[in-house]
Amino acid sequence: MSATLGDVPPPDASVLTVEHLSVRAPTKTILSDISIEFPDKDVTGIIGPSGCGKTTLIRTLNRMIDTSPGLVVEGRVRYRGQDIYDRAVNPVLVRQRIGMVFQRPTVFPLSVFENVAFGLRLQRAEESTVEEVVRRSLVRAGLWNEIGNDLDQPALELSGGQQQRLCIARALAIEPRVLLFDEPTSSLDPIAAQKVEELFAELARDFAVIIVTHNLTQAARVASRTAFLYQGRLVEFAPTEELFERPRERLTQEYITGRFG
Amino acid sequence: MTGPAGAGGPALAPRNELVDSSGRLRRRLLFDRAIGWALPLAFVAVLFPLFDMLYWISTRALPTFTWATLTENQVGTGGGLYPMILGTLVLIALGTALSTGIGLVAGFYTSEYAPAPVARVARIAGNLLAGVPAIVLGYFGYFLLVLYTHWGFTALAGGITLGIFMTPYVYRTADVALSNVPPSQREAALAMGSRRDQYLVRIAFPIALPTILTGIFFAMALGLGEAAPILFTAGFSSTPITSLMQPTGFLSGAVWLFYDFPSTYGSFLGLAFQAAFLSVVIVLALNVAVQLFSDRYRERLRGLYQ
Repeated sequence: MSATLGDVPPPDASVLTVEHLSVRAPTKTILSDISIEFPDKDVTGIIGPSGCGKTTLIRTLNRMIDTSPGLVVEGRVRYRGQDIYDRAVNPVLVRQRIGMVFQRPTVFPLSVFENVAFGLRLQRAEESTVEEVVRRSLVRAGLWNEIGNDLDQPALELSGGQQQRLCIARALAIEPRVLLFDEPTSSLDPIAAQKVEELFAELARDFAVIIVTHNLTQAARVASRTAFLYQGRLVEFAPTEELFERPRERLTQEYITGRFG
Repeated sequence: MTGPAGAGGPALAPRNELVDSSGRLRRRLLFDRAIGWALPLAFVAVLFPLFDMLYWISTRALPTFTWATLTENQVGTGGGLYPMILGTLVLIALGTALSTGIGLVAGFYTSEYAPAPVARVARIAGNLLAGVPAIVLGYFGYFLLVLYTHWGFTALAGGITLGIFMTPYVYRTADVALSNVPPSQREAALAMGSRRDQYLVRIAFPIALPTILTGIFFAMALGLGEAAPILFTAGFSSTPITSLMQPTGFLSGAVWLFYDFPSTYGSFLGLAFQAAFLSVVIVLALNVAVQLFSDRYRERLRGLYQ
């Protein structure tokens, strides 16, 4: 059950490292002794059946787990060497470096522009910078051609797929070093989902992308490394091709061939 | 005992399958139709007293209503209501400022920061305060703000008492409105590296604003109607105030004080009705203003709660 890194060396140094991480609720253990090194500038997928703890795992990576009361986190999550659960670390700053996009689009009831500018406004960025960053972020999220001519329109009036890409643009605007996606396409129609999916490789040129998904083919398509979680344990973490074609663990084999999950 | 479908022939539906032989269905349909009539009647029954009251007040207030009613002081049993209008505006302004300040801060606290048991206690306390009879609050204000402080009857004491009266209504709507902001908005804001206060000010408050405004308006309307607690604290006066440390007249007080005079004081009764009329007009105007604003504002939030 050890989390091996496989034979292929990671493309870049690890930006985020999970060491012996456990998460306990009052009556049960949600995650047990997880250790993973997430490579920088690459897409990592996390798969597993419902309730395996994959959402909990991704929420420990930027301390969004803090917002769920009653959970105890043990072990370490290192962002560029620094343990983000250290007493001295401010979770607000963690989340500025490690962004997150959720299952359902969560646009704010503001204009398109103000949605993307939200993080910069929090940091009191200068107006000229804000405009430039908003434009750049919308371009990177593949939205500029679609809605760049009307940034004042209410974000809530965009389609679901556009809203999700707006959330990505919003996350990009604060220039994260890691971007976490929690089942980012499961509420979208196939075409909108595909547009989001196409972004991942592009985004991974600049930073680490970590995607939780219950869609195995999506993991196979976009992730260069994939972790398989089962009942709160990390069963296998390997280059995606290897995990899907030559899994080392019997559990992985059974899951990817659809015998459970 | 063979069915209606004879042997060999195509199977016919049993005779009673499509026939309402017991009449039960017919009775239900009749009941359904009766409800269809009863509901509009109930609606009229609710609205009738309102329009009757408006008619009753208007017909007694308007014949003698002039510009002077709004601008002149009360002189003897006649004159205008200017001191009471001014007093009402000052009292409501004080009460609204105080209750909005306390109610909003308390609402922010219990909806976002307070541990669950603390929030529960605060909510119960808010409900209790809303349930305290206004006249008891009046006594409280009288002992604390009139006697204990040695202020005597003052507009300030009246405004503070009114503020205490209004606070639970503002607090409750603020708490509920902020708590009902979709949790995904909070998640998204925090995940953007937003502090909780930044989330409250930039995201939750604007979303909750139309509801909070409705609560503030409701508190103002209730406050406008209260006479007893203000009589106990602001006293009454027929001359316009020049300082918060003077007693002041107010519209609901004029309704209460001027109404019960014998008919020989004829014009006093007219003043009472004019004061009542003005109170209703102010409430109506406030209502329309808040409604217009909220409707426009809610347009911007469409799609948020899906």
